[in-house]
Formats: sequence, structure tokens, C-alpha cells
Amino acid sequence: MLMIRTIVRPEKVYDVMQGLLDAGYPSITKISVVGRGKQRGLRVGDVVYDEIPKEMLFTVVPNTDKDFVVRAILDNAKSGAEGKFGDGKIFVSAVEEVYTISTGEREADPSIPVKEA
Amino acid sequence: MKEIIAVIRINKVNATKKALIDAGIPAFTATGRVMGRGKGQVHYDILRGAEAGHPEAIAQLGNAPRLVAKRIVTVVVPDELCKTAIDTIIQTNQTGNPGDGKIFVTPILETIRVRTGEEGDAALN
Repeated sequence: MLMIRTIVRPEKVYDVMQGLLDAGYPSITKISVVGRGKQRGLRVGDVVYDEIPKEMLFTVVPNTDKDFVVRAILDNAKSGAEGKFGDGKIFVSAVEEVYTISTGEREADPSIPVKEA
Repeated sequence: MKEIIAVIRINKVNATKKALIDAGIPAFTATGRVMGRGKGQVHYDILRGAEAGHPEAIAQLGNAPRLVAKRIVTVVVPDELCKTAIDTIIQTNQTGNPGDGKIFVTPILETIRVRTGEEGDAALN
């Protein structure tokens, strides 16, 4: 499984979440964060804001669905057709094991065939 | 080293802290005010009400799964404590209802203690 962490503009969060829901990925976790990027924050006249509020979205998906989910996020997170500075980043990292607490069961990645014992 | 990221119910955070200390894992990070949604499973009473045609229940269901407040608990443990930590979190948080949360286990490449500069498993205990 892969964990996809997306940092998006706060005003785009619900577009991205609706897009993921329509794409068939309802499970998601949202955290408010602050941060800066390559542009070293935001400069308005003499004032520099180097902690810009963003929202971070967490979702864990099967290995084979990565490109599809990333595409669904990109389509909804961009400002305008071209995209602008500050639209955010997507990070993908490995998840070795996933457990559902209510059943206590380990979830298998549906994209990896199960080996016969 | 493994990082264990658990999304759990807010009212179970204190119990989870206690259980992890008893299991020998005192180090712990919690993130407050996390909102999330899962597969969209809802409370059975609301579902039954909606099936019976009560308008309030139908209004509560809505179209999309609602965002539910949760806590994220992050623990970084050496490989040999990974199983203990997962079992402890599952035992403490399991009520058997949808919404108990998920546990994700991801690899950690390096841990460094800021105070001394120690690296690897030595930085964890």
C-alpha cells in the first residue's frame, strides 16, 4: 500500500475530497498545517509571511491505484488551468502494513496477488 | 525502525497512552483536530431511521460521508516492538463498530536524537 500525503490550498480541500469521492476513494484524513515552499513564503510589500496555512490530506491506496489517485488530486487541486505557485505538493511513501482496529484484521493490498501457503 | 500511524477515536487517546506505557513504549506524538472519513459507514440507528422514512434521519445521512473528528497517534519503535505496539493499540481501541480507526505501518530510515546526536535504535530508548 502507498500513503499519499497532499498539501493543498484550504479553499481547494473540498474540491479535492469530492473528486476523490467521485473517483471511488472515500477514505481520507485532513489536518490543518502551516508551511512555506520554494518561494520562501509570501511577500506583500515589506511584510513577509513565511507560514502560510494549508491543509494536508492523508490517504492510503493500493500500489496500482497511485497514478489514478494522483491524477484525480491534480485535476482538482490546481488553481486555474495552468496552476499557480502555492498550489501544493503530493508526497507518496510506502506503507508496509495496514490494520482495521474495529475488526483487528490486517488489510491486504488488493493489487498484490496472495501467495498460496 | 517502524513508524506506526494510528487514526483513533478522540475518547480513546488517554487509554491508548496508558496502554502504550504499560507495554513499554512511552514515547508518543499525538496530532489534535484531525478530520476524516472512511468508507462512509454510519450509525445503525440513523440508517434504520432513514429506511423507515424519518426526514431528520435522511437529512443526517446527506449525500457524502461526513467528516468525523479523530486523533492521530504516531509512535516510532524499533522493529522488535512493532508487533507489541500494534496489538496494544488494537486491543485498547477496538469496540467492534465502524469508526474505530486504522493503523498504518511505514518504514523509517533513520532516527537521530537532537540532544546528543545519537543515531539508530539507540536514539529510541
